[in-house]
Amino acid sequence: MNVNISLKELLSLEGLVTESPHVETIIQRTNETQPQNIKIFYGETYDEAGNTIDSMKYYLFAANLSDVLKTMGYDTDPVILVADTAACRNVSQNLQSRYMQLGAERTEFVEKVNRIYNCGLHIVKMSEYIDEPDFQSDVKKIIDLCESDPELMKMIEESIPPSKVDIEREKGFMYSFDEIATILGYDIKIGPPREDLYDKTAREIAKRLDRKQIMSIFLMPTFPVGLGWDYFFAHEDLEKYGITAYKGMSKRLQKYRILIGKTSPEYVDELIHNSFISTRLDIPNPILDIGIIVEMAKQRLKSKTDQIHLHKDFYNGKISPNDLKDYVSQGLREYVLNKLV
Amino acid sequence: MNSELLQQAMREYEEKLFLKEKEASYYPEKMRELGLKNIERFIKYHPNPSRLMKLGITYAHRDLEIVAESMANNKPWAVISGLNPSGPLHLGHKTIFDELLWLQEQGAEIFIPITNDESYVVDKTKSLSDARRIGYDSVIPSIIAMGFNPKLTHIFVDSDYTDIYNVAMDISKYITLNKALKVFGFDESEDNPGSLFYRSGVQIAHILLPQYMEFGGPKPTLVPVGIDQHPYILLSRDVAERKKFIPPAELTLKFLWGLDGKGKMSASREGSAIFLTDNPNEAVKKIKSSYTGGSALATYQREHGGVAEICPIYAIQQYHFDAEETNLYTRCTSGQILCGKCKEYAAENVRKYLEKFQSVLPEAKARTGEFLLNTSIRSILE
Repeated sequence: MNVNISLKELLSLEGLVTESPHVETIIQRTNETQPQNIKIFYGETYDEAGNTIDSMKYYLFAANLSDVLKTMGYDTDPVILVADTAACRNVSQNLQSRYMQLGAERTEFVEKVNRIYNCGLHIVKMSEYIDEPDFQSDVKKIIDLCESDPELMKMIEESIPPSKVDIEREKGFMYSFDEIATILGYDIKIGPPREDLYDKTAREIAKRLDRKQIMSIFLMPTFPVGLGWDYFFAHEDLEKYGITAYKGMSKRLQKYRILIGKTSPEYVDELIHNSFISTRLDIPNPILDIGIIVEMAKQRLKSKTDQIHLHKDFYNGKISPNDLKDYVSQGLREYVLNKLV
Repeated sequence: MNSELLQQAMREYEEKLFLKEKEASYYPEKMRELGLKNIERFIKYHPNPSRLMKLGITYAHRDLEIVAESMANNKPWAVISGLNPSGPLHLGHKTIFDELLWLQEQGAEIFIPITNDESYVVDKTKSLSDARRIGYDSVIPSIIAMGFNPKLTHIFVDSDYTDIYNVAMDISKYITLNKALKVFGFDESEDNPGSLFYRSGVQIAHILLPQYMEFGGPKPTLVPVGIDQHPYILLSRDVAERKKFIPPAELTLKFLWGLDGKGKMSASREGSAIFLTDNPNEAVKKIKSSYTGGSALATYQREHGGVAEICPIYAIQQYHFDAEETNLYTRCTSGQILCGKCKEYAAENVRKYLEKFQSVLPEAKARTGEFLLNTSIRSILE
């Protein structure tokens, strides 16, 4: 892979990275970790809708980050976790096997992306390690720690959307405990900004258990495509955290998502061209978001990791909203949809 | 400098600053008290928000989200804004009509009841016929002259569009006397039964009329109002829910200061309003003798600046003319421009506007028939 971007530039890519640790902090951690690999993590669940284009943002970014660090001379282990066991926790008993199957399908999809875009990712399913004694021992330690400390328990509760707290309480917050135990062993975690609450809790727990603390890199939230300004105006809740990137049915907006292999190219075009985009920087821009995924995909197909200028070009007025839509629509077909058929 | 004059100028300035503070907190407090939302998010998302919204004159809303969905997707929606014809339209009314024009550009079907019945029952005119005459001779032509599209505008004078009373009867079954008394606070010894029926029946009928079957049935309806009309919206929302209509949304505008500086521009306070039918020279005279946010002492005003926030002359230029483009706020509050000069600009703007506006009034009056509503509301009778 021909890497033409520095770590600092990668972490400052406008329209892609919203928050990250200082480059010096990452370098210090990588130095401390050597000779072991620096472990990069992105984890996701899934739903019945299928594989979203939005997940690709995380896979491709994890690959780019890994390549940049490798160019700097560090060994890396970029892991994509398909949290099949966690996904099953959210569905009824009779859907368990269906959801395990969906987990296998998601894993196949990530493997395909990995192969086609030469990502060098290490794909792991939660079911592969959840019953291992070491992992279970970590989970037990975390549960014991949280149960003995109301402050930590409060942090766990606060990391869950208010509407789901009661359900999670009934399930003994196992989803959260598994998630925290999973990320304890990693150095860098990539995710959407709303995972900050999880990550903060994980760092606090890591501190108490004398483990290394995860560093978080947050990428731009995901927004639905094909919707007008009125939808965004009416859904204030969406503005800050968007929808769940990896779940096509997030907020019941599956009609407004691009699902790889499911959404027809014609409908993809329609969604893109019907999308509201604004030239205001403080307004979600789902088309630019997909455009950046396309740019990453295009670069990786050409064995490159480079700067992405789409954000700057759009907000500087070099590309009009309609031109951006055309550019993204064409690129999406050429570099993503046709490749992943 | 005469110290007595200086002391007086200081006192006057302090009073104006106090009024400015009061003005600044009034609208946000009202918004919170009434549970309205700020218009900022709408401005942020709408591709081309109205000038009045961008200026903060249209400043709050309730349920605009529902209207926005129709607005953005070319679905039917309506706007209703009534008018009491106790006198000709003035610049305060023009503010609302400017917003109505923008809403019409966004696809709204606009209903404008001319409430001569209200003028009469609340003692604003001596007779129903007086208010009716003002309605046809002055108010309706003025509205038409503003440039509304006849295909999307329905004007009616209550006493002539008597179907509205059947709608009011229909609606009155959904409102208890107790509720009406609570919402409007009637004075049993002063108010007459007509005013009770008007407020709790006819006015709600105006608001819900666009949702009757004859106009396509339930649809998002927006009511642009001053903050004092909020109770009507509340009551109409309550009735709408019970009738399985869509609760009307509210768009709230700030008042235009009257020339006397004593509150909103109003026909009922002499010297407060510039009417759209005023002789332009007369309007200029009114402006020249208007209250302002400035000081009687020019030297003091040059040093401290004027208080634009409570100045009717500044407001007129901001609401209706070019205050933004000419950077008037900064020039006023920094003392670069004094009231005399500012009044000259305002007078010139108003004179030009009135001359142009009045030149199209005869033609507008001749087009009245194109705008009058005559749809019979049979669905509640058959």
